[in-house]
Formats: sequence, C-alpha cells, structure tokens
Amino acid sequence: MSDETKPGDGAPIAAEYVLGVLSAAERRAVQARIAREPALRAEIEYWEQRLGPLASELEPVDPPPRVWAKIDAALVADARQSTLWQNLPFWRWAAIGSAAFAAASLAFVYFARIPSPNVPLVANLEKSDGGAGFVVAIESGGGGLTVVPAALSDVNQRALELWLIAPGEQPRSLGLIEAARAVHVSVPADLIRRVTPQSTLAVSLEPLGGSPTGLPTGPVIASGKLTKL
Amino acid sequence: MDGPQSSHMQNSEAMDAPVTTTTTLEQDAARKQLAAALTRIAGGDRHALKLVYRDTSAKLFAVCHRILQDKGEAEDVLQDVYITVWQRAGAFDPNRASPISWLVAIARNRSIDRLRSRPPAARQRTIEEAAEISDGAPTALLQLEISEEHRRLMDCLEDLEPQHAGAIRSAFFEGTTYDELAQRNSVPLGTMKSWIRRSLLRLRECLEQ
Repeated sequence: MSDETKPGDGAPIAAEYVLGVLSAAERRAVQARIAREPALRAEIEYWEQRLGPLASELEPVDPPPRVWAKIDAALVADARQSTLWQNLPFWRWAAIGSAAFAAASLAFVYFARIPSPNVPLVANLEKSDGGAGFVVAIESGGGGLTVVPAALSDVNQRALELWLIAPGEQPRSLGLIEAARAVHVSVPADLIRRVTPQSTLAVSLEPLGGSPTGLPTGPVIASGKLTKL
Repeated sequence: MDGPQSSHMQNSEAMDAPVTTTTTLEQDAARKQLAAALTRIAGGDRHALKLVYRDTSAKLFAVCHRILQDKGEAEDVLQDVYITVWQRAGAFDPNRASPISWLVAIARNRSIDRLRSRPPAARQRTIEEAAEISDGAPTALLQLEISEEHRRLMDCLEDLEPQHAGAIRSAFFEGTTYDELAQRNSVPLGTMKSWIRRSLLRLRECLEQ
C-alpha cells in the first residue's frame, strides 16, 4: 500500500483486535506489542475511536449499587492500607515535584552550560494490562532517572531491567531496577541525547543479574513514553 | 455584513433545525464535562471518578453484559473497568480521543479478555445463547440522541453486504471470534476472515471521506 503511515492504514491486526475477532493467544500477542510499538498503539486508538460510537446502540442497564460500593471500598483501601508508594496519582504528582526540584537545584549548572534550557521529563510506565507499573522522573538534562514502583510486581526470582528505546533503534539497557523500592539510575553519557519525548522506557523481566545478551530476553512488563512536564 | 444582521441569520438557521442543534450542543457539553472529569481523576480526585461512574456506568454495564451474557461476571468486570479508569486516566488525551469511546474501549477490552479466559465448554454454551440474540437496529429512543460520528458509522455499515455488516456487529457487541463467526454463518474460516478484513478496509475508506 502506498500510504501506510496514515493511522488506520496499517496491518489489519489493530482493527481485528479492536473489533474483537482475535483468539485469546492472538490478543495476548497484540497486547504484548502495544507497549513497544507506538504505531500499533496509534492504530488501535484510531479504531477504538471509529468503532466506539456503535456502543450507543445498546440500551443502558443500571448496574446494582453494590458495584460502586466495591469500587469505592477498593479506592479507600488503596488510600489507607497501601502506602503512598502504590498510589499512582500521588506518585504522578510526586514525580513532577521531584523532577521540578531536581530541575530547580540543577538549574544554575544547566543554564550555565547549555544555551537552551532543558525541560524535565516524566514517564508513567503502564503494565500491559493497563495498570500502573512504575513512575519515572527524569532529571533536567537527562543524566539521571528516579524510578518508583507504582504497584507491586511479581518478579519471582528474576531481575527487572530498564530499557531506553529511541525511535527506530534497538533497546539500550539503563541497568537493573527494584520491584519494591525507588532507585536512582545514572544514564550513560552516550545515551543522554536519546532521553527525549520521542523515546520510550520499558521494563523487562530478566535472569538475575540482567539480560545476558544486551537486549531484552524476557517479557516487557511495563512501558511508557517520556513526556514533558 | 454587519453584526446584528449576521446574528439574525444564525438565529433563523437555528430555528430551521432546533432539535439537531440542541442535541449537538448538549452532546458537546457532556463530552467536555466528561473529559474534564477524567483529567481530575488523573490528579487523584475521587469525587470526579464518582461523577464519571454516575454518568457512564449504565452504558458500560450494558457493553460488558452484552459481551459476557452473565450478570455476575459483568459486575466484576465493570468494577475492574472503573479501577482501571482511576489508574489510567492520565493516559486519556482529550485532543485525540472522545472520552466515551475511550471508556467503551476499556470496557470492551476487559470484557473480551474475560470472555476468552473462560473454559471452552462455557464458551460454547454462550455462543449458542448469543446466536439467538439479534443484532438489530438501535431502539427508536436512542435514535434521537445519535451522534454525528455514529450516524456516519451507520451509513458506512449500510454500504457493506448485509451479512458482512452483521458479522462486524456481532464481533463488536459480543466479542465473537473469527471461528465462531464462521460457524454461525456456515462459511469456511478463510471466507470469514476475508469478509471482515475487506469490510474493515471499506469502512475505513468510507469513514475517511
């Protein structure tokens, strides 16, 4: 096809996924790709928006009140029991706060060295099921990241490795991170210029000690785009 | 043209089609309100989630129930849908997505994943039950509040072969797989795949016009 770059024009898999005709295994395969392939995600969003209005043909059905009661209870329990560590809205703001703090404390150095000011970045790494995975605050200049788990991940004797994926490039390792603790990651000097809003961060499950090959070998459990504050 | 005259013309145009204009304005206001509530949820506002639930849960429950054909399971999935909305509202972009289509997509995805996770025996029973449910036209009442996007989609669906459009509707409303659609329509799997793929291509062309 001549115009494959336009949303909706790509492989039929995105449309088939949204329509709902794929098998369980095919759906899982698409869901695993969504995190890593922004073009596929855009295709899927295109079809979700195009087909979504069909749902207005259904006669609304009021759910029983117990459904809201359970949702409300889950949110209250979330706020009370789980510490702020697991509360994504908190961390989203905390990430912005700490990145802003980092930006402020580094402002003098950066403004002195770099002619154009750098905008701090944040990333919400979502799990493939849509749940929150990690929140990442990127220091102004891209030299360091703070990675905070937003939910408990089941790592089961494996390591979590953080990857930086620039458009059209292979994933580059940023090192290992922790499932239950915030960590600071230093970005190698040769990768700093790839820390831009066009890049994606992803977390994969690897053998203890990290990927032996230098590329992700296990499943990607969370990923997200870098966004400017 | 001077100011007062142009405003007079707008008034008389509005009077020609008062129902359509009002409906569109109301839809637009509702959409903006919903988008604003999603943005507040992203900031951790629980009250905003309650508002979104109040305004959309009956619609999303209908979506889940139609796919799952089981009230208890639909309730479980609906609960999961709003917890997902709570966690993911930050990913909603009002410039790129309609809030209701964004919510419907979450409800459909969760319901279809749940449907696919059922043991094969349970699935077969559902297929037989679902085959008896018609994929009929929207009710008269709902016709009144049809959005422009929906009207366009309906026009484009009408351009397809009726049997093909029926398969598209079954898949959308019930999450029917290629295999099940082929069985129901008594055609080979390959034929069904080419019906659906061709229909999707034609739909896209039609919607892009």
